[in-house]
Amino acid sequence: MARHRFSVQSVFLLLATVIGAAAVSIAAARPPLPRWWSPGEGRVFPEQLDYQNDEGTLRLLLTGGKLDTKGHPFFEPIGRNGRACVTCHQPADAMSLSAQSARERWDATGGKDPLFAAYDGSNCPSLPQGARASHSLLLDRGLIRIERAWPVREWNGKAVTPDFTITVVRDPNGCNSGPDHGPEHGNISVYRRPRPVANMKYLLAAGFPFDPKQGYALPIDPRTGKMMSGNIMADNRTGTLRLQMEDAGSTHLQMLKRLGEADISRIEDFEKRIFTAQQVGKEAGALDTLGAKGGPAHLRDSEPGALGSIGEPVWSEFAKWEDISPEDAKTLTPAQLAFRQSVARGAKVFRDKTFLISDTAGINSRIGFGNPVRNSCVFCHNMSQMGNDVAPGQVDLGTTTMPFADPMPDLPLFRITCLKAPHPHYGRVFYTMDPGFALTSGRCGDVGKITLQSMRGLAARAPYFSNGLAKDLRGVVDYYDRRYDIGYTEQEKRDLVNLMSVL
Amino acid sequence: MKSLATLVALVASLAAPAQDTGELVRIVTCPVYRDTDAGRKSGCWLATDRESGQRYDVSWSPYKPDWNYAILVEGRVSEEPPTPCGDTVLRPVRTSRLYEIPCTRHMLPAEAYPGRKYKLQGRYIDPLSVPRKTPPGPYAQRTFTAYFEYGNDFLIYQYDDYLLDNAATWIRAAKPGKLVVTGFAATDPVEVSGVTLAEPVELARQRAETIAETLRRLVPGIPVETRWQAGTTRSDDPDADTIPGQAERRVEIRAVF
Repeated sequence: MARHRFSVQSVFLLLATVIGAAAVSIAAARPPLPRWWSPGEGRVFPEQLDYQNDEGTLRLLLTGGKLDTKGHPFFEPIGRNGRACVTCHQPADAMSLSAQSARERWDATGGKDPLFAAYDGSNCPSLPQGARASHSLLLDRGLIRIERAWPVREWNGKAVTPDFTITVVRDPNGCNSGPDHGPEHGNISVYRRPRPVANMKYLLAAGFPFDPKQGYALPIDPRTGKMMSGNIMADNRTGTLRLQMEDAGSTHLQMLKRLGEADISRIEDFEKRIFTAQQVGKEAGALDTLGAKGGPAHLRDSEPGALGSIGEPVWSEFAKWEDISPEDAKTLTPAQLAFRQSVARGAKVFRDKTFLISDTAGINSRIGFGNPVRNSCVFCHNMSQMGNDVAPGQVDLGTTTMPFADPMPDLPLFRITCLKAPHPHYGRVFYTMDPGFALTSGRCGDVGKITLQSMRGLAARAPYFSNGLAKDLRGVVDYYDRRYDIGYTEQEKRDLVNLMSVL
Repeated sequence: MKSLATLVALVASLAAPAQDTGELVRIVTCPVYRDTDAGRKSGCWLATDRESGQRYDVSWSPYKPDWNYAILVEGRVSEEPPTPCGDTVLRPVRTSRLYEIPCTRHMLPAEAYPGRKYKLQGRYIDPLSVPRKTPPGPYAQRTFTAYFEYGNDFLIYQYDDYLLDNAATWIRAAKPGKLVVTGFAATDPVEVSGVTLAEPVELARQRAETIAETLRRLVPGIPVETRWQAGTTRSDDPDADTIPGQAERRVEIRAVF
């Protein structure tokens, strides 16, 4: 389905311009603001900004007043490839980047946009950069190349001796072999979706002092003395926004010098002020009506880090739609009523439909929940309002690792050999397309673990999972259904998809 | 002072599940999962003593089995009715995963057994948003303990985190000059169900370092020394829940002024 090319705000602006045409000359009309934010545009980021998508309208709220982005390091091209942070964290895409936006940008610029920088916006810098095929992972799956050091380094830069070896089995893009690339040359290339830079207070919140999956207390940021949530990056390679910025600056932006203190402060300030969620459902209508609390305002106003099982249940924002009174139902179209009831059912399925979770490191090992353990989606997606994990969320769902992952022949495949104890679920030798957290911890038992992320703004940022395995929300549900043999009914699948479409 | 520490520990143990002193069971066997469904975490874990043919319900273990590997079961026969899972209940009980001994995974259907509805109870910690109550002084040298499963240096969820959270709360208030962390391992060989069990001395060091690292994070600024000790040693700490093997696999944290 073709997507609207302009933001709702820009449509209103256009409308206002048309209405005022009698009094104002056409030459004075303001051109509509493009959906894509290019680096260095100098736009003003308003306190409220809406964008339409296939499922309705996404809303962004900026606390503390509007922001003039001129000269702001999140929006300016501060590296040598012409990119800014906003290049891969687009407001219309819930501060992430959808594959569709990447494709539209390719078409609009003939592949010249800084998004397609050879370093990581192509499958490998060694490929001919003018060819679309050289950027297929970004265009088809929304993936950015991530080059990690081998042997691995922890979040604090400390060298780690891994307890596994890694051998390249398949290298379709040439970035894990050849003269400069691959483990033999001190690096490993994996491909991941950009994570949303919004609702950060939730991702930074430390709910409890322990990481039960790793069996330690949470690590402490030496600069602030505060515990780090472990929920920022897919592989937990940076524990703070500062470290993430430094990592991104030297890689994605190809900065030649380190970010300055003032720039770090300004970026962090912006990232902590931005909240986003779907505000209007295409079928449901406004998501904060008839008692529901959809939209980003509730996110902005709630306390982060609460466990849904002992506080506000996850996705209870839509609990009031479980039982819409006949009187209220009269205010809705039949389609709106049906969709809202479906969303409410989806929230209950998400919380209450249990299934057996097995052979999943981070749940079934090393932590002692048992293998298998019966639980529901909220076992891991347990933080109120956000659906990420209150504890650091490094879990191996199998999305990157065989035999659970889909084949995905356009991604590299690595053979992992555990040097000490075998992996509890995969054995001594197994195969993965992305070792995930193990590229930070150096532990064989962590191979394939990917940090859970926010579930907000999903409608704006397909595809899903760290490697873009699911092209749409139905693909997410179908993956879980076959991975854990859940046996969702068709109705339950639709309800879950509808729920996720309004988050 | 030791008696005071024992008294405090006894009071603290009141928060733990009720214990009895039933017959001690210690076996190695393959676990079986019974797929009861009373909601989340409600499945049953069963373990059969091959010599007697007696099957036990070991679901109360804080660290539960992996159906692909054998387990060391250590527990006491409880008078709890077998209604939830169908077999004699061990409580208190521990199950340690023996990753060197593979098992054929097996799952029984519920067979009309209801399982146990999960309820947060026993040793669990509050969120960080809940202020910890400052323990009253005066403060003097005191020893805290954390426990491990056989062959493992992993902190046990809703057991060790509870013990360490309490310890850290006291340490923050007492501000000792240093912490001396001593790891122990059950290194003396014993034969259980035909399997010789003996933890390596190295594990005592690993346990000490695991706890030391966690303490550096929980109570930064207080020096932490690590030590470890070879040879199986006993403890009468009530938080070991009257299971001798559990008491042997421990780390002691001594707050020194």
